[in-house]
Amino acid sequence: MSAITTADFKKGMFVEFKNETHQIVDFQHVNPGKGSAFVRTKLKSLKSGRVQEFTYKAGDAVIEIPVETHEMQYLYKEGDGFVFMDNQSYEQYTLAAAMIGDFASYMKPNDTYQVLVHNEDAVGIRFPKKVRLLVSEADDGARGNTATSATKTVKLETGLVVSVPLFIRQGDLIAVDPQTGSYLERS
Amino acid sequence: MKTWEKIRQNPSLLKKYFVRETVIKSIRSFFDSRKFHEVETPLLVARPPAESYVEVFETTLLDRYRNKTRAFLSTSPEIFLKKLLVAGIGNCYSITKSFRNTETQSTLHVPEFTILEWYRVGDPYEKIMDECEKLIRYIHHDVLGDRTFMYQGKRIDIQSSWERMSVREAFSLFAKVDLDAFFDMGYARRIMKKKKYKETDDTTWEEMFHQIFLNEVEPHIGREKPTILYEYPSLIAALSKKKASDPRYAERFEFYIAGLELGDCYSELTDPVEQKKRFDSEIFEIKRLGKTHYEYDSDFIHALEVGLPSCSGIAVGVDRLVMLFSDAADISDTLFFPAKEEFERFPHD
Repeated sequence: MSAITTADFKKGMFVEFKNETHQIVDFQHVNPGKGSAFVRTKLKSLKSGRVQEFTYKAGDAVIEIPVETHEMQYLYKEGDGFVFMDNQSYEQYTLAAAMIGDFASYMKPNDTYQVLVHNEDAVGIRFPKKVRLLVSEADDGARGNTATSATKTVKLETGLVVSVPLFIRQGDLIAVDPQTGSYLERS
Repeated sequence: MKTWEKIRQNPSLLKKYFVRETVIKSIRSFFDSRKFHEVETPLLVARPPAESYVEVFETTLLDRYRNKTRAFLSTSPEIFLKKLLVAGIGNCYSITKSFRNTETQSTLHVPEFTILEWYRVGDPYEKIMDECEKLIRYIHHDVLGDRTFMYQGKRIDIQSSWERMSVREAFSLFAKVDLDAFFDMGYARRIMKKKKYKETDDTTWEEMFHQIFLNEVEPHIGREKPTILYEYPSLIAALSKKKASDPRYAERFEFYIAGLELGDCYSELTDPVEQKKRFDSEIFEIKRLGKTHYEYDSDFIHALEVGLPSCSGIAVGVDRLVMLFSDAADISDTLFFPAKEEFERFPHD
């Protein structure tokens, strides 16, 4: 555990809040009309998955909870959890759906992901900058949604629907940014 | 992808950006119909108003022989408009750019923003409360016509009369704090401890006030219908007149729509002695915080000595108005060239 300040905040980081481990889901700086700087933060409880807001004074000290990153293979979904196997120890971990969020729609069984581990528990996933997925359904003859827009929507192998340039065809491998859901490039 | 590229790819995005054009035209037409003068104030200034909460952009003015003079980008048109009131211009307004450094990494602030300020001579700030409601309805009519006003999935009712609540009432209702008692530093510290906020000997009264305000009060303000929150503690109302019956509070109000803080209004302080005292304490605070230090504008104090007529004035964030009427979640989504897009190409040194 180490003391940091709000200046070190990063999305996805784990901190102690009200004596419990929370993940920083989002944060932004705010200045009230005539006042000093504050940091409005959305914190997700590891225990309950509940998200709450707290506004820190800019510069406040906060305890960061260290997490380890383990390479793990995604095996299958079970109830409200996702089961992974550690590539080194072969130990299995279950990660709650709440801690994966939208990223679940980018995950494929047997692929390897960076899973965050804290106190022997899987607590989250480090999102890659890009995810490569196959285009499973595309209208190759599409001329775009409007006369001027040069995009169409396609379905990827995980079921995810994204907006892509017109030249993308069924069977193409494309890269998508999991943070924004936007198309990046054709591989 | 940069905004201009996104627009080229999807021209239907333009519609959202054109809301700014309509909002600004509408503001001009509103004040024109009320016989206000629109005036220009400088963006390049020698002395910004002394405000410790604001960090300035500093630059250098060179003469023909490259002799240097310190210069700043304007943080607000306020002192220029007040000098014009002293000059006798009467009711007036300005729509102008203002610049505040360090206000990045936010969906509500940008370092360069557009501000609307207007002043009414001889009127108390209640008159501006009424005028605010009328202005917003006027803009609403021009931008949306008969269409329902929605912001981020919630219906906004601006037609029925707005809620008006004092800061004191809001603290008592939402935070269960007696603000009158909270003025006492010792009492305030005990409340902070009880509420489990972090607080040290260095924590200022303003920080304690805002810690409670931002966490417990503001999330409830202006959600269902627009709210005018009035009578702020004098300690956080640098250029406003104190309330005659209780000088701990100042005649300052802010208004909120859909949770967005849109404007900040004062019955203006006209007393040069009191103004000088407040500037001195702001300058002291600027030094203490290690911010860019400058002298306050003595010509402004001189103007107050000559005589600022009794007046009220308000600053409204035009970019936030555009956010509201174009249903944008991020202030940067109202700008063709948001600063974060401009500067992210050049990561910091």
